[in-house]
Amino acid sequence: MRIGVYLCNCGGNIKDKIDAEKVRAGVLGLPGVGYFKAVDFLCSEGGKDFLAGDLKTERPDRVVIAACTPREHENTFMKILASSGINPYLMQMVNVREQIAWVTEDKAMATEKAARLISAALRRVSLHEPLSKREIDVCPDVLVIGAGPAGLKAALSMAESGRRVSIVEKSPVIGGMPVRYEELFPSMECGPCMLEPVLSEVLHGEHSENIELLTLSEAVGVIGSYGNFTVKIKKRPRYIDAEKCIGCAECIGVCPASAENEFNYGMNERKAIYVPFAGALPNIPSIDETVCLRLKGKECSLCLDACPVEGAIRFDEKEQTIERNAGAVIVATGSGLYDCKKIPNLGYGRLSDVYTGAEFERMLSSNGPTEGNIKTSKGKSPKSVAIMHCVGSLDKNHIEYCSGICCQYAFKFNHLLGKKLPGVRIFHFYKELAVPGKEEFELYAHAKGDPNTTFIRYADITDLKVGSKGGKKAILFKKSAKKSDSVSVDMVVLCPAVVPLPDSAKLGGILGSPADRFGFFEELHGRLDASQSKIKGIYLAGACQSPMDIQSAMTQGMAVSGYVLSGLVHGRKLEISPVCAVVDPEKCSGCRVCVSVCPYKAISYDPEKETAAVNDVLCQGCGTCVAACPSGAIKGNHFTTEEIMAEIEGILR
Amino acid sequence: MAKKPKIGMYWASSCGGCEIALVNLHERILDIDANFDFAFCPCLLDTKKKDIDAMPDGDIAITFFNGAIRNEENKEMAQLLRKKSGVLIAFGSCSSEGCIPALSNLHSMEETLKTVYLENPTIDNPACIIPRPETDMPEGKLHIPAFFDRVKTLRDVVDVDYSIPGCPPEPHQIWNVVDLVIQGGPLPPKGSVIGAGSSAVCDECERKKEDKKIKRFYRTYEIVPDSEKCLLEQGIVCMGIATRDGCGALCPKVNMPCTGCYGTPEGVFDQGAKMVAALGSVLDLGNTKSLSEDEIERRIDKLIGSVPDYAGVFYKYSLAASILKGRSR
Repeated sequence: MRIGVYLCNCGGNIKDKIDAEKVRAGVLGLPGVGYFKAVDFLCSEGGKDFLAGDLKTERPDRVVIAACTPREHENTFMKILASSGINPYLMQMVNVREQIAWVTEDKAMATEKAARLISAALRRVSLHEPLSKREIDVCPDVLVIGAGPAGLKAALSMAESGRRVSIVEKSPVIGGMPVRYEELFPSMECGPCMLEPVLSEVLHGEHSENIELLTLSEAVGVIGSYGNFTVKIKKRPRYIDAEKCIGCAECIGVCPASAENEFNYGMNERKAIYVPFAGALPNIPSIDETVCLRLKGKECSLCLDACPVEGAIRFDEKEQTIERNAGAVIVATGSGLYDCKKIPNLGYGRLSDVYTGAEFERMLSSNGPTEGNIKTSKGKSPKSVAIMHCVGSLDKNHIEYCSGICCQYAFKFNHLLGKKLPGVRIFHFYKELAVPGKEEFELYAHAKGDPNTTFIRYADITDLKVGSKGGKKAILFKKSAKKSDSVSVDMVVLCPAVVPLPDSAKLGGILGSPADRFGFFEELHGRLDASQSKIKGIYLAGACQSPMDIQSAMTQGMAVSGYVLSGLVHGRKLEISPVCAVVDPEKCSGCRVCVSVCPYKAISYDPEKETAAVNDVLCQGCGTCVAACPSGAIKGNHFTTEEIMAEIEGILR
Repeated sequence: MAKKPKIGMYWASSCGGCEIALVNLHERILDIDANFDFAFCPCLLDTKKKDIDAMPDGDIAITFFNGAIRNEENKEMAQLLRKKSGVLIAFGSCSSEGCIPALSNLHSMEETLKTVYLENPTIDNPACIIPRPETDMPEGKLHIPAFFDRVKTLRDVVDVDYSIPGCPPEPHQIWNVVDLVIQGGPLPPKGSVIGAGSSAVCDECERKKEDKKIKRFYRTYEIVPDSEKCLLEQGIVCMGIATRDGCGALCPKVNMPCTGCYGTPEGVFDQGAKMVAALGSVLDLGNTKSLSEDEIERRIDKLIGSVPDYAGVFYKYSLAASILKGRSR
């Protein structure tokens, strides 16, 4: 074995502290060392040319480069090795700049430390094995779960670039939450109108042929990995032929069966055959089999009789399980609201006229249960309304974070109440106020300047007590440590914390994508990679990752498209790093300790062979399983136990 | 008739169980006799040390050396048998990895002698006599072999060709080794572990294994384990995951955890450390994402606190051969 050692002086950066001649003297006698060369700037054009030429002349078996951090130039030097005909993994870098020269005062000690670390690298590099990258074919198609703003934006932008996209949506309609809100903060745009261009592009636009919309559908299983997922989808029957139905709604009026409309939070009823709200897209009704008389085995054909199109209503439709292949999966399932019943002193669910923000949104909508009229349970217009901010938020007994959107819609409510009910008295009970952003201050400023609006700050949500008194809501609150006060209102609107959907843990389990401590889908990195999950090829868009507004959700929809479009390219193969874990099936006893420790879900247990196996597409080479494997059956390529032990021995020589 | 090759078996610091394992070959012991000249075995034969001294170097074809190196005599016999043997095999856990005698490496020689000769409740030693290498008696000086400060493995004192693990090695595995020699098959590379598998005990254990998450540990008397499920998953510290296979998973078969006697699996440096690393990876602390570091530490302490005697559990057999080797003094 002949090892070539190069020491980069990095100008004075390294040279000022490390004496190359003394290092040479210390290194030259060590086993395997063929030669030692000190170079001024190895990463400069001249330095790189020198290295390439020198490697061709010297033909070393292994190379040690003592220079800066491998984070900076490992790739540079690996490329030079490769172009000089040497396997790039037969090199070891020693970080003598950041870890020695920049942090060691004493020159003699810095030089000694450099010689020891080079000795460690020499022992290690002699054990290096030539490794090579592997390439696999990828499927460029994409599966999007959730048809809210984030999911639709992602689907549309990828379809525009020619990708085939399948959208899996649990409900019968698309558009997510904002299509249920008549007016949106900060500029009071109409939600359905604002989103209509996106929705109709998805349904009937220029690139809609690239989009397959699967409503009433859920992902129930995923196999494979980045580049090649197969997703199993359960598709419930709509009982309507989407191709034939013209959306005339003749069937709805005649339907004799009805149930609570969940899209209006049970504030009114809908028929068994229904469109959740006027203007819902796609404009095709669906039949609720738990309500429909005919599907419950009774005699009824009123909708069939009313339908002007032959064969549009299909009572013979059955639930189907279908599969789709995709290179990447985008999770855009959105979020829910904190259960206000968990804070009983606010009266939600116990007293009439106490609503959540989402319920109040529907009341404000012209296609909602009250057709946009704000009415108390007695049918009167309220003269006074209390809006409670921070319901469950910033509270260690409930939800610790601030959802960031509630203040803004609370001030939107303030504006709309004033507009719809001139002279109405409004009380904002708040713990903290948060209205960041260049447009968001206006609604807040408007509320602040409104003589009919009062701001009351509370310290803890338990300081507020909502009771019923003479047909009104009496709100008792602490004015100071000793004094209490109360206000009387006709209606209370609660702004609860934005929380993960109850189903997101189930979906996370199916995808193998872990949840964060609050239950949202956990991002790879909160600042750098908030739209990537911990699992390669599974991306996160919108409020399934964190509470966010429409703007952020749309931006994340574009962000995930970016990951997919740059990572999975038509005709380009996926390069798999050889620095990954490998299971020796002879040594593996099948104890399954490794399976649960892998943060990337790259290890699976093969019940037939009774051994574990690592998927090198997913493996990031972190070594967690290598350390955990109690029988030494997993090898970390390029970081083998022998290499690491040799390195330690080289330092301690 | 050609002269039969000689075979020997010696016990150093050991319990005698290895000899019993050999005798447990039953009738096959006659096959050994038919193929070898059983030249030396203090437990079974009357050959003396002087007879070995008189042999030419390398005269014994194979010596099974069991027992750890506890004192000067053990070392002297190891050196003598190394010289006189063609192939020297560390036989059983004591000579391979130190085994139970090596747990005294957690204490000084003085502490060990004091415990054994003075403090042990069954000892009656009013004159407080502790054995010493030299003792003055009216008749003159008495010499006994010096006691070492630490128990060593055979490999620590002489060059060893192979080792056979187990406390004791299973008879069928002893036979596998003897048979290989009788059949004249190619011998494995020097330094190999023979008479054992190359995986871990779980490979031979038929219990059903799932992905592991351990909520708490139980000592064997605290729980009646399910006889189908992996013992470790039930919270019993079963060393099978970090122990070389070859025994046939005898202990888990009878609802008892593996205690690790077949030693370190192939390619593992330190059995106890590996076990600790593996357990550390599968402790189920619940959702720790919202917890303070102190609270996480408290949970970990509570969980691992239920394992009594870490060294005695994780290093019951391998302390002398481990990286730490014992307590530093």
